[in-house]
Amino acid sequence: MDFTFSREAKALRRMVRTFVEKEVAPIAAEIDREHRVPMEVMRKLGEIGLLGVCFPQEYGGMGAGEEGYCILMEELGRACTSTATNVGAHIGIGAMAIHLDGTDEQKRKYLTPLARGEQFAAFGLTESNAGSDAANISTRAVRDGDNWVVNGGKVYITNGGYADVVTLMAVTDPALGARGGVTAFIVQSDWTGFEVAREEDKMGIRGTSTAELVFDDLRVPHENVLGKVGEGFVTFMKSLDMGRLTLGAACLGGAQAALDWSVEWAKTREQFGTQLAQKQSIQWMIADIATELEALRSLVYRVAWMVDTGQPFTELAAMCKLYGSEVASRAVDLAVQIHGGLGYSRDYPIERAFRDARIAEIFEGTNEIQRIVIASRIFREHGVRISP
Amino acid sequence: MRILVILRRVLDPAGIVAHRRLRRLFINREEYLIQPGDHSALEAALRIKDLGGAEVVVVSGQPEPDDDTVCRGLAMGADGAIYLSGEGFAGADDGVAARLLQAVVDRLGGADLVLVGMTTLDTAQAQLGPRLAGALGWPQIVGAWSVEIVDGRVRAVRRDGDDYVVVETDLPAVVTVPGRALEPRYPDGARLVNVYRGEGGMGEAVLRWDVADLLHPEGLVPLLENRGRDFPPERELGVRVEGTTEEVAQAVAEALRARLRGA
Repeated sequence: MDFTFSREAKALRRMVRTFVEKEVAPIAAEIDREHRVPMEVMRKLGEIGLLGVCFPQEYGGMGAGEEGYCILMEELGRACTSTATNVGAHIGIGAMAIHLDGTDEQKRKYLTPLARGEQFAAFGLTESNAGSDAANISTRAVRDGDNWVVNGGKVYITNGGYADVVTLMAVTDPALGARGGVTAFIVQSDWTGFEVAREEDKMGIRGTSTAELVFDDLRVPHENVLGKVGEGFVTFMKSLDMGRLTLGAACLGGAQAALDWSVEWAKTREQFGTQLAQKQSIQWMIADIATELEALRSLVYRVAWMVDTGQPFTELAAMCKLYGSEVASRAVDLAVQIHGGLGYSRDYPIERAFRDARIAEIFEGTNEIQRIVIASRIFREHGVRISP
Repeated sequence: MRILVILRRVLDPAGIVAHRRLRRLFINREEYLIQPGDHSALEAALRIKDLGGAEVVVVSGQPEPDDDTVCRGLAMGADGAIYLSGEGFAGADDGVAARLLQAVVDRLGGADLVLVGMTTLDTAQAQLGPRLAGALGWPQIVGAWSVEIVDGRVRAVRRDGDDYVVVETDLPAVVTVPGRALEPRYPDGARLVNVYRGEGGMGEAVLRWDVADLLHPEGLVPLLENRGRDFPPERELGVRVEGTTEEVAQAVAEALRARLRGA
């Protein structure tokens, strides 16, 4: 076993950290306050290649694999959950679906500009009656010659307000249901029939766009079918596996930031004549955060290694998302406690981190869904099939 | 146009704690930075390349085998790198470095411009540029806030008191660049991966030379001999002054006067 990061990984982390310290951290509070997607940061990330971190170089990517992608998400998550979310929705699910199941032509046309940050992607799965129950979608695509005509809508679509490309799931054969009756499409937001209906006003990750999309006779060329007709559910579940791993990495960054702030404050703050660091009650909180953080770090990078070496990892990705989001929430909650009144003040980043952390327990499959994914894999090995 | 950029590394001060009472430096995190002046000098070279085309070659080296500094230079956009290593390097000072770099220029068959940081972050020495210019017999510009090539000459902007002045000299020349002169660009992601993996032609971009092949042993002897380390004494705690603003100001002024008289 060798748990050391390669020189390449260390160099990538240094590059990302420098970028984050200069470009992301200084505006994290501002984009939250102004409810603004930092497009200038997204473009710069693209210019230096980071939006293609895990995609092959022949399609404009860096070729740094899932390990590299996790490093990017961890470092972004340390400074700004909003930016990590924008990047995660773009790379981890939106563009990822094209990377996983796109044809060479589709990758050249769509993945390459996405990897370079010339265009941005979103992932269109959730509907008003189909969130956790993803197989219950009702957006319909009907074949019309060389085209498909899509009608319906999607809700809570991260990056939906500004994405140029949306990988979309629609029902193509209602009789067959999720297995065989659902197809993935690559859709351009500049096509007639694609409309951004509204933006959500959210508790946290306020520097992101979460939009409702409406499709009204949206004509999609057959060449934009992603994967095979009827196999969209498989494409989307594979993409979500990747997204869940890297969401765990972003949570790792968020938890690390909570620990860093808490240690710094415990060094600085004095009560009853000694540093907070000398109080056992504070030491225990720090020790708890640090221990969970290390367990999460080991999990995230081990699963990244499994992805890069071609091993199955579905339930482990679910564990990354489940455990990561809960570790981050606990770490930030303890950080608020350690900081006292200061942790509750909008003048300090902990309050923002507290609001931002909560969403990770909900999106990309609620934590309840993750537990079902994990349990169903375990029971399947013992010959028991469970349904949600 | 061949531009040589000297890259030296320095321990990241953020990872070091000085413990005055124990008279020790604690290195909590052993991370190295490119000397800020050298980093800025590389940015200057790459801007010349962007504008008019040039071959940018970075040169670096240290006794222990670690070519990370040249890899960073290549990832930022340098076309080639020379990595110097070997036992002869131990204890090299700026005099030895200047002689080595003179040998590097000779072995390369010449260069048009050498760019190097004006000072170093750790020792605050500003000797390498001037010593190298002296060794090569080339003109030098010290402290260039911007560098460009105009009609076959090098033109730079220097600080002169509160003003800036434009100076020019013939090529070949040595130009030193202050650390804050130019913001270094980010590396290109794919290039960075290729450099560290030695793929995409990047493995061949690094020439690895042993210092023993460049200089006779006597050329590697530093002028100064290191006879040990010292450490600044622990700082005395100050005096806490309390009272109204006027009383505090009065007390501070008197304490300062007393200290001056004492001196």
